[in-house]
Amino acid sequence: MTSTLAAVAARYRRPMTLGNAVLDIHPTAMVAGITALIVVGLVSAGWVAPLVVSVLFVVIAFLAGRGRSYLGTILKLWLAVGLILFVLRALLVKGQTVLVPLGPIAITREGIQDGLRFSIAVMAICGGVTLFFAIVSMRRLMLALERIGVSPRVSYVILASFQAITDLGATARVVLDAQKARGIEAEGNVFVRARAFFPVLAPVFLTAMSATEERAIALDARAFNNPGRHTSLLDLKTWTGVDTALVAVAAAMVAAAVAGGVLGWF
Amino acid sequence: MPIELHGVGFTYPDGSRAIDDVSLRVADGERVAIVGQNGAGKTTTVKLMNRLLIPTKGDVLIDGASTAKRTTAEVARDVGYVFQNPDDQLFAADVRSEIEYLPKYLHWSDQKREERCSRAIELTGIQDHLDTNPKDLPSAVRKFVAIAAVLVSECRYVILDEPTAGLDSRGLALLHGMLDRLRDEGVAVITITHDMRFVVDAFERVVAMADGGVIADGDRRDVFLDDDILRRSRIRRPDAAQLARDLGLGRRALTVDDVVALVP
Amino acid sequence: MVLAALKGVGFTYAYAEHPALVDVDLQLEEGLLHGIVGLNSSGKTTLCSLIRGVIPHFHQGDLTGEVTILGRPLLEWDAAELSRTIGCVFDNPFTQISGIRDSVFEEIAIGLENLGVPRTDMIDRVERVVEQLGIEAIVEKNPNELSGGQRQKVAFASIVAMDAPVVVIDEPTSQLDPEASEAVFEIIDGLKAQGKSIVLAEHKIDLLAQYADTVTVMHAGTVVMSGPTRDVVGSDEFGSYGVVAPEVTELGRRLAAAGRPLDRLPITRGEAFDEISARMRSTHAH
Repeated sequence: MTSTLAAVAARYRRPMTLGNAVLDIHPTAMVAGITALIVVGLVSAGWVAPLVVSVLFVVIAFLAGRGRSYLGTILKLWLAVGLILFVLRALLVKGQTVLVPLGPIAITREGIQDGLRFSIAVMAICGGVTLFFAIVSMRRLMLALERIGVSPRVSYVILASFQAITDLGATARVVLDAQKARGIEAEGNVFVRARAFFPVLAPVFLTAMSATEERAIALDARAFNNPGRHTSLLDLKTWTGVDTALVAVAAAMVAAAVAGGVLGWF
Repeated sequence: MPIELHGVGFTYPDGSRAIDDVSLRVADGERVAIVGQNGAGKTTTVKLMNRLLIPTKGDVLIDGASTAKRTTAEVARDVGYVFQNPDDQLFAADVRSEIEYLPKYLHWSDQKREERCSRAIELTGIQDHLDTNPKDLPSAVRKFVAIAAVLVSECRYVILDEPTAGLDSRGLALLHGMLDRLRDEGVAVITITHDMRFVVDAFERVVAMADGGVIADGDRRDVFLDDDILRRSRIRRPDAAQLARDLGLGRRALTVDDVVALVP
Repeated sequence: MVLAALKGVGFTYAYAEHPALVDVDLQLEEGLLHGIVGLNSSGKTTLCSLIRGVIPHFHQGDLTGEVTILGRPLLEWDAAELSRTIGCVFDNPFTQISGIRDSVFEEIAIGLENLGVPRTDMIDRVERVVEQLGIEAIVEKNPNELSGGQRQKVAFASIVAMDAPVVVIDEPTSQLDPEASEAVFEIIDGLKAQGKSIVLAEHKIDLLAQYADTVTVMHAGTVVMSGPTRDVVGSDEFGSYGVVAPEVTELGRRLAAAGRPLDRLPITRGEAFDEISARMRSTHAH
């Protein structure tokens, strides 16, 4: 149900909250926390630690209310990337204990263990990065960066680039529709589509280029280049005790993990 | 060779319903204007006619045969669609190549290509611009280039999306002349437009849409006569017609000439 | 005070073969709604860009002649001052949306953020503008998912919110239906009532004749007619530049051609109503 205008405005008047303790964690603190977990996962020698960390990421995603989509993305990553990495390492790394002889490429226990370790470690890193972007919107990240003095031009370029990629998809669809509407076949295999798309590439590109200039002018019309202090509609929550605590715990975890690794506890 | 929509509906992937239960029949050489507010479903309806959109309910038939098994491009060769923004459809380096693109793509004989291209160029009055890059032409002329590029196919139906936007008096005259000749050839013209002057000057049949359905479909005088239809589809009479009504001069007057005849 | 004064102005875009503006002489007063009409290649958009200072700050080219905006030469204005003083909306709704905000409400607030407006004021102003333009239904939507017409309304709202004393608008109703177009014109009329100066390039001559104080006709890069709306739109010369006259004016002309001219050639619905009623009364009186 859509809210009334008054309700929407009231929401913006309140300090910005995303309605969830996890989502409200300051982006920088979130970076610290996720990095710490990744370090802990990687410092250990085996594959159990990174697996636990990966599962923890999923749990955090659910706590943040983004569990479903995160799980979907991460499972696709595991299948597409993780599985391939595992198979490659398992087959190619040489070991002693042969489990399945396949001629020159034998599957060894060491190979499997190496494969597990490598692939799960990589997936842990991917999981962490994916989690970050699932929880912290680019918008909030840019806002946080601007708060500490990063130029609005940088944040514009980054945010606009992401949007441009989304727009490209829409533009491609319009272009193909226009071609179809002229009687040019654009349905079927890749070659048919390419043939329909190819002649239009240059004009589409040129239009995008001139559109960029128009966008710059439109931005200027919104006083983008106005010197002097800019204010912000979004009242980004400032650093809180929760954030400090999180960073402290993260630091402690890293220290303990590194020490543990050095001392051979893992 | 009529085009028929039988109880068609279209729902977007996100679940929002654009149109529901629309039935229409357009016969050879007919001229139909589809009017209504933005969001009423006009564009969705015509996109179902040329299969740019596939109905989620109901069927679209051309000459009695369902279009369900045909690809969009195939249907498009029967049902031409000129987009509102010509720049969405033009891409060649010069006007001639633009017009000849489809004939070459379909491997037509030189003679057939010559014939169809000349006809299209003549209908749209772009003879002087054949070697120019469409991007260097004024937008009104680009519109006609886009129309020519669509007319070159052997389409029996042409859909024009807001054809009068940005046209000057000369362009309007050209457009009216083109519509007359298309009628002589038996080509049906369907237009989506907000320009009521254009509607009453050139289209006998008006389809008024609102909220994804057809509110009225009939002779333009009947549609514009009915206050209830106008209210529900939120369209207005052209100024002269409204004047005639407000002044008590006549309720069926529609065009400027109609009103001139009524003023003492 | 004079809003804009152009003397012998010519402009050719860099790399262009032909000049976009040729020997333009024009004077526009403050506090009025100035309509600019002409075909798309007539120089209408270039004129708007010039008055707003987009030329020379963004578009390179060869600018000749004198351009004075609000009493100062155009070249003395810096870009930031221009963006604070002269709001502008251009005709392509797809490039007027920033692309970097997640909701229409935030999109409209961008200009106010850049102007350093305090948050509470900002929110009040955005709320007001949303109500004014009747776009409550889309206030939470992602601007990148809006239709062309919706984007036009949002872009227009964004500039209205900035509350600049001068506004230059290029075809704000091209994607809108007649009802929405009239609503936009009413808002523009409201801006004038607040004392703002408005330059409006438009094709919808019927609405323009109704609301504009002056009309300037552009043809082939030069100003061919400029003056009070009635004088320009009602003149015999008006039709010779290809611009379509209002329907009621056409009605008046055809009546004259039929030997039954009205006392005054109407350019608005109201005038046509008055003229024809007067005719009907005098006919009955005989």
